[in-house]
Amino acid sequence: MNNANLNQLPEATADARSQPLLLTYSQDIRGFLSFHIGRTALFIVTCTSVLSVLLIFSFIFIEALPFLTKFSLLEFLTSKAWYPEAQSPQFGSLALIVGSIYVTVTAMIFSVPVGIFAAIFLSDIVSFEIRNIVKPVIELLAAIPSVAYGFFAVMVMAPWMQQKLGFSTGVNALNASFVLAVMALPTIISVAEDSMSAAGRELREASYGLGATRVETMFKVVIPSAHSGIIAAVILGMMRAIGETMVVWMASGNASQIPYPWWDLSQSIRTMTATIAGDMGETAKGSNHYRALFTVGLLLLVMTLCLNIVSEYFLSRTAKKSGKSK
Amino acid sequence: MRIFVRTIFDKTFTVTTYLVVLMIIALLVIILGPMLSRGLSAVIFKDTIEFRKMQFALFNRGVESRILQETKETNAFRQKIYQTIDKFKQGIDTEALTEKARKIYREFGQQLRYKELPPEQFTILRTQAKEIRDKLETAFASQDKSEIASCINNVLQYRDDQEFKDTATEGFFKLALEFKNSVEKTDLSKHYLYVKSLQELESLIIELLGPRPDEPLPSTAMNQFGSTRWDIAQRIRDKILWTEQWVEHKPNESLIKIKTLRAEQFAGTDIEPLFGYIKDNIEQILKPRAKFYWQYFIDDSTPGHYFGGVGPEILGTLLLTVISMLFAVPIGIIAAAYLTECSSENLIIKIIRMCINTLAGVPSIVFGLFGLSFFVLFFLPLLGFPSKPCILAASLTLAILTLPVMIRASEEAIRSVPETYKEASLALGAGKFKTFMKVTMPAALPGILTGIILSLSRVAGETAPVLFTGAVALGPMPSSIFHSTRTLSYGSYDMAVGDRIAMMVPHNQYGMVAVLVMLILCLNIMAIVVRSRMFRKLHGH
Repeated sequence: MNNANLNQLPEATADARSQPLLLTYSQDIRGFLSFHIGRTALFIVTCTSVLSVLLIFSFIFIEALPFLTKFSLLEFLTSKAWYPEAQSPQFGSLALIVGSIYVTVTAMIFSVPVGIFAAIFLSDIVSFEIRNIVKPVIELLAAIPSVAYGFFAVMVMAPWMQQKLGFSTGVNALNASFVLAVMALPTIISVAEDSMSAAGRELREASYGLGATRVETMFKVVIPSAHSGIIAAVILGMMRAIGETMVVWMASGNASQIPYPWWDLSQSIRTMTATIAGDMGETAKGSNHYRALFTVGLLLLVMTLCLNIVSEYFLSRTAKKSGKSK
Repeated sequence: MRIFVRTIFDKTFTVTTYLVVLMIIALLVIILGPMLSRGLSAVIFKDTIEFRKMQFALFNRGVESRILQETKETNAFRQKIYQTIDKFKQGIDTEALTEKARKIYREFGQQLRYKELPPEQFTILRTQAKEIRDKLETAFASQDKSEIASCINNVLQYRDDQEFKDTATEGFFKLALEFKNSVEKTDLSKHYLYVKSLQELESLIIELLGPRPDEPLPSTAMNQFGSTRWDIAQRIRDKILWTEQWVEHKPNESLIKIKTLRAEQFAGTDIEPLFGYIKDNIEQILKPRAKFYWQYFIDDSTPGHYFGGVGPEILGTLLLTVISMLFAVPIGIIAAAYLTECSSENLIIKIIRMCINTLAGVPSIVFGLFGLSFFVLFFLPLLGFPSKPCILAASLTLAILTLPVMIRASEEAIRSVPETYKEASLALGAGKFKTFMKVTMPAALPGILTGIILSLSRVAGETAPVLFTGAVALGPMPSSIFHSTRTLSYGSYDMAVGDRIAMMVPHNQYGMVAVLVMLILCLNIMAIVVRSRMFRKLHGH
């Protein structure tokens, strides 16, 4: 193979030398066309993601549209009565929306402090070598599939809660929130750590130089300076939690209600994602119930899109900042 | 003093962060530990003769002569259990006894009719037989030993009667004698308790040993065999030996569990030594042996995953991941190449990037909805294929889901190739395309590979997108990509929230999810190794 190449090489060079430097018209056009056609082809393939997003929005919207024209959106958003298969069906998704937000916020209450402490640990406390060991281990948490988390919630957490904490049911808001918190941790840790590392050595050294201890440096200098990245981290964690299906479906108990009193985490609730997953199998295609589920999906999509835009904004602010400091 | 406080505060803070990270790692262990260790017991465990019988019957596996030999050996030990129970039952199960007595009476009537006796004798014999039957019935129904004794003696008086020799009535006397023997040893006041306890005991023994060898096989596979696993057999043995009761210990306190010997329920009867026998001979009865059941990964399962393995689930998961990768990998690499090599940061690129980020943020259940409404209900009929959930629809949905992961990983890999490589190639006269194919791609390949592996693990674990687009809990092996399939992820869900049958086989529940988690962990560890090697290579260590 190598020999053949060597033998051909001088010939090729001789050939190339004998050619005039000026390209013929056909060569010129061919080169021009192949460059632009190739480029366009690449561009079209790249646009697959744009196309996918458009298709997702349009198809979810098309399927939801008949529902939106038939029922009032206001009632959909403000009524608590979700009785899709009743004689006179009622589609009030307030309890579902509240359920989604409820578990998400509770999960954040668990995971944000833990996540920030872990991010500080990785960015400022341990050596590079230990960080390189701990970080992949934490990332394994993100790799575990959601159905495995759900399995853990149902098979391990639920019996434990029922027996040790004396809850009436093991599948409840606390169970779902706790497992969601664990799932959101890797996202929060990794984004928060990135932004804290990006805060720069100079800031830290200036603070230490003024005699501040590490905790003072962290809370008075580094975290304020990295705050937009941390906010982005929290929002990304929220997106992970609010869009999660399997865990809440398996662990939240699926009772369409708003907990009363509101702090009672031991009650069962139902989220938007779990409703879609649970009900879709039983509906007829094209029925009101089916359309209502697509409307819930559309709502979910819009919510995550808003969160996404906000997180993008904060992330771009950190990017700008670190760009400036460099 | 103030400095002292601040130092303490600082140290506490440091310790807290250590604790937090340790807690996270502990959580990882708590979540994965039981899952993997209990999942392992689906593959490595101690089996019993029942397992070998089941493997032979359902999967045609094992040496027939050896299994028959073992069955014979164990049946020899089991026979004693059956005999003891049958013998005891004769004194207890009065309904069956009454039934028997009536049957004998009817048979005797038939026999008399063929004998052509004179009418008076016929009537006398008939009346006598009826008397015997009635006496026996009274004896069976009675709870008073003296009454029983007198009834039985009355019956036995007819034994020497010439007329009754060699007729069906001999059964009466046999019945009477057996009943007399068993009644002498039992406490009749406990009669009803015995009936209840015996029923319980019998059902437990069926659970342990399966149906009796002389009985017809039940139709469902799960009832055809006893305990196939030694750990479950031991649990049932304990249930046979001990009874559990939840008793209120003190008022207003939670109930406590009390264990009593089941033998106490049968104190003083023939059946009491049976418990000692079961305890001492359980190994001979079941022949436990260590087993590495590697066929778990290829075996089909009986409904409800009671027996068998996760073969179809693994196949389905592999099909879904591979097909979705066929779509996602080329698109992902080309898009990454375009974004890094061909474009400057203009508005269009910004829009493309925003779309990729949006796509990454779409909840997985919405992908499921999209897959249903677009691929299943719109795209497949458009191409002339049947509009139903299938592997192709699920794979395409998963491909779109994993596209952002793929693009980002490839982009990062391509960006991390040093600019000098490309410049050297361009300076040697290679075109842009050639430079990319011959220089950039090979250098970025480990990074792209990492991206592929991570996407694979993401796709393999996703459940929500395939719920409506191609996954089923029960079904045959898929024969083409236009059929739905079982997957590990949906199977894990189904087993966890599933019916009573799944709850009876916790090893299979954990086995399914452990296979999924192991698959994904292996992929991720592979990705970490590839990444660290690439890091070392690019940084020249």
